[in-house]
Amino acid sequence: MKFIVSSSALLKQLSAINGVVTTNPVVPILENFLFEIKEGKLTITASDLQTSMMTEIDVEAKEDGNIAVPAKILMETLKNLPEQPVTFSIDRDTYSIEISSDNGRYKLAGENATDFPKIPTVTNATAVDMSSEVLSNAINNTIFATSNDELRPAMTGVYVNLSATNATFVATDGHRLIRYRRVDIASPDAASIIIPRKALNLLKSTLPSDNVPVTVEFNSSNAYFNFSNIKMICRLIDERFPDYENVIPVDNNNNMTIDRLEFMGSMKRIAIYANKTTHQVRLKLAGSELQISAEDLDFSNEANERLSCEHDGEDIEIGFNAKFLVEMLNNISAKEVTLKFSAPNRAGLIVPSDKGENEDILMLVMPVMLNNYV
Amino acid sequence: MDAFYASVEQLDNPELKGKALAVGGNKERGVVAAASYEARRFGVRSAMSSKLAALKCPELIFIKPRFDRYKEISQQIRAIFFDYTDLVEPLSLDEAFLDVTINKVGNPSATIIAQDIRRRIKEEVGLNASAGISYNKFLAKIASDLNKPNGQAVIHPSKAEAFLEKLPIEKFFGIGEKTAEKMKRFGIYNGLDLKQFSLQFLTKQFGKTGIHYYNIVRGIHMSEVKPNRIRKSLSAENTFDHDLKDRKNLLEALIKIVDELKLRIARTKVEGRTLTLKIKYNDFTVQTRSKSYDQTIRVEQLLEIVETLLDQAPVIFPVRLLGVGISNLNNPPNMPEENKQLKIEYKNF
Repeated sequence: MKFIVSSSALLKQLSAINGVVTTNPVVPILENFLFEIKEGKLTITASDLQTSMMTEIDVEAKEDGNIAVPAKILMETLKNLPEQPVTFSIDRDTYSIEISSDNGRYKLAGENATDFPKIPTVTNATAVDMSSEVLSNAINNTIFATSNDELRPAMTGVYVNLSATNATFVATDGHRLIRYRRVDIASPDAASIIIPRKALNLLKSTLPSDNVPVTVEFNSSNAYFNFSNIKMICRLIDERFPDYENVIPVDNNNNMTIDRLEFMGSMKRIAIYANKTTHQVRLKLAGSELQISAEDLDFSNEANERLSCEHDGEDIEIGFNAKFLVEMLNNISAKEVTLKFSAPNRAGLIVPSDKGENEDILMLVMPVMLNNYV
Repeated sequence: MDAFYASVEQLDNPELKGKALAVGGNKERGVVAAASYEARRFGVRSAMSSKLAALKCPELIFIKPRFDRYKEISQQIRAIFFDYTDLVEPLSLDEAFLDVTINKVGNPSATIIAQDIRRRIKEEVGLNASAGISYNKFLAKIASDLNKPNGQAVIHPSKAEAFLEKLPIEKFFGIGEKTAEKMKRFGIYNGLDLKQFSLQFLTKQFGKTGIHYYNIVRGIHMSEVKPNRIRKSLSAENTFDHDLKDRKNLLEALIKIVDELKLRIARTKVEGRTLTLKIKYNDFTVQTRSKSYDQTIRVEQLLEIVETLLDQAPVIFPVRLLGVGISNLNNPPNMPEENKQLKIEYKNF
């Protein structure tokens, strides 16, 4: 079996799916790309059993055939070759692969393609369409708040709930919660799934920056994403997601509105002086002045800044993990944000002051107890 | 308290008085938790394997420990302490540090207070106690061993350094068998030897504790008497009557140990982020395997994690002891709530 393909065109396709390949896979064959040629079309598959990605590229080939090609060595070869057509010659009996370029010849040991795990196909799926931009936004707005606690698998993914009028994406790590809702995605069939973080991270880096349509299909065990010439299949997290709606307070009436970038900048500076394990910063709201301070008693470090804000409510002092706040503020695009409090030991809410079109975002963060409150 | 567990047994059962007695283990198996002074004369020591103890003292009587009873007596004794000061730091069931610098009876002499406490323990509980008096915890602890049993000793500030210089290194409180062994490799056999080494050398060899060693040999120990010791870990373990020979027995034993740990967790209300599995083989080598998580481990996850740790590497049979413990405790109940990151309270999750 033999085929010819442009080195850079092939590299581009491989790079798009290479993130799936793990360094220490469950089965060694998963260190390979699966190459399948049918009528001049090369389909490349990478998988870690949980997540699989496929892409297609046209090649010059006289016959059909399959081979598993070691991913790392192939990627590195292509990265270091100047753009040119390269010829792959595969020995069907020994699975040996020879790549010839203008620069020379490279021989590597492939594996039998039939040993590569079968990738599940779509059955009984619910389908929903969205644009890559919308999907990217939904991922970027939630993924940072997922947990990496293997003991609570439900929290290691993003929960997606589809209804007839909207789609809700939720992530929580037990300390904070992000609820991102879009009214431009909907499905007549109500459904909810939990998509694992790894798959979403891969999507995040692979979704094209130009706006292309994405088809998402899912059944009870897998989700399928289809865009441009790329397909991704991931196993869903089969767990119950925590009842998040009930923990979102409805009576947080102590509101502060502030310039997001100013607030975030101040928070980043103050955080440098905070305790290295708790990252605790103190927000003191008095009238229309917000005082942000932190101290690290172990090193005798302390810092203090004052910002003006719009404030509607009683004076309040509340502590938060600065890292959480910075991360959350960084994921909002609005110029101003509103923070809604009730008490120093109750959840605080952050919402953008002006909503984006079709989207609604709510962030919840639990405080860090202040020593003068308990 | 002198030979605490054994003395309690003799107190409750007069027939045992004057007899060589070991609490814990039996002739074949286990370790001696406490030995009566009569047994100590034969060379029986606590933590000695009971087999060896029985060899040293053929008429040794083995008694099953009754921890609830010891705890009860321990509380009676503690109640006496609190008549003198609230600054009581329990070190174990039968030992405690008391700061009597300022005391409730208004007596400036620690020696007289110690005498009085020992007299009351004898009268009210019926047991002998020993006391050590000095100007810091480290020296007081060492002093308490000087005139055991049923005695007390004072290490005066002006004599502390000279006393420590002569003290064999393994008698230093906080220097165990292993550390003593290591010190001896550097030629450190007593306090004077230890004094010859620089702070730099000691920290290089012993890490942070090196600073501690450097200080204590100079009679410096700044640790206050802390009324509530902060718990750092919680565990349950079992030495088996017969070595475990296969995985099935091992798992059955672990289920029991985990159940015990769950009970203890429920009682103390602690939450930990690290779980450690301890395996002692029949050649007494100990292996520990642990796993840490970002969030606290829930009790229903304990067994599952223990199994993962068990399968993490092969176990070499036979196994003599198994233990399971949690550490990296998040919010010990006696710690202040301040600076604590609050969690979202999800229902049924």
